[in-house]
Amino acid sequence: MQPTNYKKAGLLAVCISLIAIISWEIHLRNSGVPVSYDDNEALWSDKRAMVYEPSDKATVIIGSSRIKYDLDIPTWENSTGDHVIQLSNVGSSPRPVLADLANDKNFKGRLIIDVTEGSFFSRTVVYDWKTNRKIAYYKERTPTQRFSFQINHVLESQFVFLDQQFYSINSLIEKLDVPPRPKVNSGNPFPMEFYPNSFDRQSFMTARFVADTSLQNQVKAIWRRGRTNAKPPLTGTALDSIFSSVKFQVEKIKARGGRVLFIRTPSSGPLFEYETKRYPRAEYWDRLLKVTDCPGVYFKDYPAMANFECPEDSHLSREQAVIFTNSFINILKEEKGWSFTHNLNKPVL
Amino acid sequence: MLFNSYTFLVFFAVVLILHNLPFSWKTKKINLLLASYVFYAAWNPPFILLLWLSTLVDYFVGRALYTQENKHKKKLLLVISLIGNLGMLCFFKYGGFILENFTSLVNALGVDYHPAKPNIILPAGISFYTFTTLCYTIDMYRKESKPVKTLLDFSLFVTFFPHLVAGPIVRPPQLVPQFETPRKASQQQLLQGLFLLTLGLFMKVFLADGMLSESANSVFSSHDVLKTLDAWMGVLAFSGQIFFDFAGYSSCAIGAALCLGFILPQNFLFPYAAVGFTDFWRRWHITLSSWLRDYLYIPLGGNRLGKYRTYFNLMVTMLLGGLWHGAKWTFVAWGALHGLYLWIEKAFRDARRKKSLPALAIVESKNNFIKSSFAPSFTKPVEGSFPPETNHPKTVTNFFLALCTFFLVNVTWVFFRAEDFTSAWRLLHSMFVRNDSGTAVLAYLDIAKVSIIIVILVIAHWLMRNTMVLNVAGKMSWWLLGIVWSVMLILIMLSQNASSSFIYFQF
Repeated sequence: MQPTNYKKAGLLAVCISLIAIISWEIHLRNSGVPVSYDDNEALWSDKRAMVYEPSDKATVIIGSSRIKYDLDIPTWENSTGDHVIQLSNVGSSPRPVLADLANDKNFKGRLIIDVTEGSFFSRTVVYDWKTNRKIAYYKERTPTQRFSFQINHVLESQFVFLDQQFYSINSLIEKLDVPPRPKVNSGNPFPMEFYPNSFDRQSFMTARFVADTSLQNQVKAIWRRGRTNAKPPLTGTALDSIFSSVKFQVEKIKARGGRVLFIRTPSSGPLFEYETKRYPRAEYWDRLLKVTDCPGVYFKDYPAMANFECPEDSHLSREQAVIFTNSFINILKEEKGWSFTHNLNKPVL
Repeated sequence: MLFNSYTFLVFFAVVLILHNLPFSWKTKKINLLLASYVFYAAWNPPFILLLWLSTLVDYFVGRALYTQENKHKKKLLLVISLIGNLGMLCFFKYGGFILENFTSLVNALGVDYHPAKPNIILPAGISFYTFTTLCYTIDMYRKESKPVKTLLDFSLFVTFFPHLVAGPIVRPPQLVPQFETPRKASQQQLLQGLFLLTLGLFMKVFLADGMLSESANSVFSSHDVLKTLDAWMGVLAFSGQIFFDFAGYSSCAIGAALCLGFILPQNFLFPYAAVGFTDFWRRWHITLSSWLRDYLYIPLGGNRLGKYRTYFNLMVTMLLGGLWHGAKWTFVAWGALHGLYLWIEKAFRDARRKKSLPALAIVESKNNFIKSSFAPSFTKPVEGSFPPETNHPKTVTNFFLALCTFFLVNVTWVFFRAEDFTSAWRLLHSMFVRNDSGTAVLAYLDIAKVSIIIVILVIAHWLMRNTMVLNVAGKMSWWLLGIVWSVMLILIMLSQNASSSFIYFQF
């Protein structure tokens, strides 16, 4: 072995690495990039472990992406004094999580299920595999994974560059101007301004996204492509089996003293038209409430939440989410008989 | 605990500090042992009981085997050890597989038998630590080395955290003597260890997980007939992924041990520059192939019992080597294919030898003759001269032969990675039969990443085939080494794939 000066080499490596990473971090912060937490298995599992909190202190939310944007968690927690446990997953049906909670004998809490018909009444939802992976991860979480999660939380809270979805090396490479290969999905098609995620697992659009119609149109185009490529909706026995499995799961939770409520969160423009035409309310939403014998909140039934114009047709901006959440809490209190930790008579701001 | 986790960074920092405090050597060894148990229990605490059981049984049986003079009693003790170790391995690793095949067999015979599917969790690293303890008891039986003096040293030999979960598979003479005298890494060793840790993490986090795993997963999880380009790119991606994943783990293990002042054996020596399959097995998972040679191939008779028996022994060794990797027939097929390649190579070599040396009355020592037919000889740990028999000159012909070997190795990886034979055949069909209507699953960027990395990988292996990483690093100027080191650190931090498991953990 030739005697290389490892000490000098090591010091140089540490200096170069620190300078490069700190410069990158400063550049991102100066560009206005917010801190965002990776919405991965570890974060989901952290929330999943909280579902055993007393039912009068916490509400569990499951669904697809809409409720992740539309329910503003700080507003809910400030207004009700109760904790929100957000278990919804982007691009997924809530049914795998519903089955997981139904099969967990220790879960007896309050559950709100967001229904986006396209994913709820389907067997082939794009990211269901990710949801199943999250559930499996939660069940097999090791002590070392829990400890690593805590360290990661501290680091992610401090460093913007630790956003895997947009600033990992792979995401940066994907930003290169390489033409797409015909018939192959590549990379994340959503603009990063659409995607920040809080530690509570609330998704939100940045102010730039809300102000920039070209970014909004980029996302609208994705929904449009989804509509063009969509398979016909399920009917007949395939659809019946979904209703009966949901009924079965809901009954399990109710039998243990849990409460279940469905919500149809807002969509607007051509997307809402498409959804109501493809999934007529009477055949899907109304039937769901009837079959499961659960209360429901359909946004169009309530003037305070009926007329939102979603920036990209499908999700609410953060400002809209605050209004929506306050309206939702009022409906729950006044119409559905839900009580929260904070005094019932306290006005909701 | 994974090397590529934040938990390990904290754990390792604590272990390093404790190891460098002025405690007695015995206290330091107890610290290392406790740390190793924490390292293992951090995955699934109850399975540490298995580790304790295996350690205790083999320590006492090993001692008894060494001192016992009665042949029958000695054999009985060996059988107890084999049943204990292999029984545990069979139950946890092969229980479901055996039951499934037994059910298929009796069903085929017309018996209506449908048992419930067992839900057995495979304890991490059981295949590795079982082989570690097995070689100890077999060595004691053969009196090839002396019994470990204390239970503390033996426990540490079995459990020492750098090698515990995925090797390198160590032999008692390689590690136990290092526990007998106080050891502390020199500054050079500490820095070399940290360099190897960085290199290992770079291979795992950036190259295997960041650059190659998605392409491999897309291709191997596809249920369609693929375009030939996609099929090949997926297989090449897996070829790179499994090397970077496992060699990355081995580098981390060797580096972590070196930081503490211990030397573990090399496990990989640029295998994709192998010229032929004998050479490949001297370079790929060296500690497993030498284990199989010494504790399976040679006891079966090696090449002492005639030509056909040699071929038979080779194939049995490779089949069991395949099965060691997992309880699936596809792993057996992978082993069989390697066995077949070794047969063909041996046949060519024998024919050539016969031609050039008609009187094959070469006087070779018995052991050399046995070893020359299969697998590596022991390599010196970390540093040292390269084994002469692997030192093929870097000629154009040998490079072409190395490329042929790499091509054939890729074919074997199809069976290794595929879920079942249907998927394997479908992928092989996509690779070798042009199909313009096949499905494309990889983006241009994925194809570019795989192509660039694999070309660099093969060239780097070829250029470095007769040396070792630390030799190359040692010859660099300090500033160049510093730049290379920093690039690896930056890419690890930017990869952000900190939590995915190593492929070999499942074995």
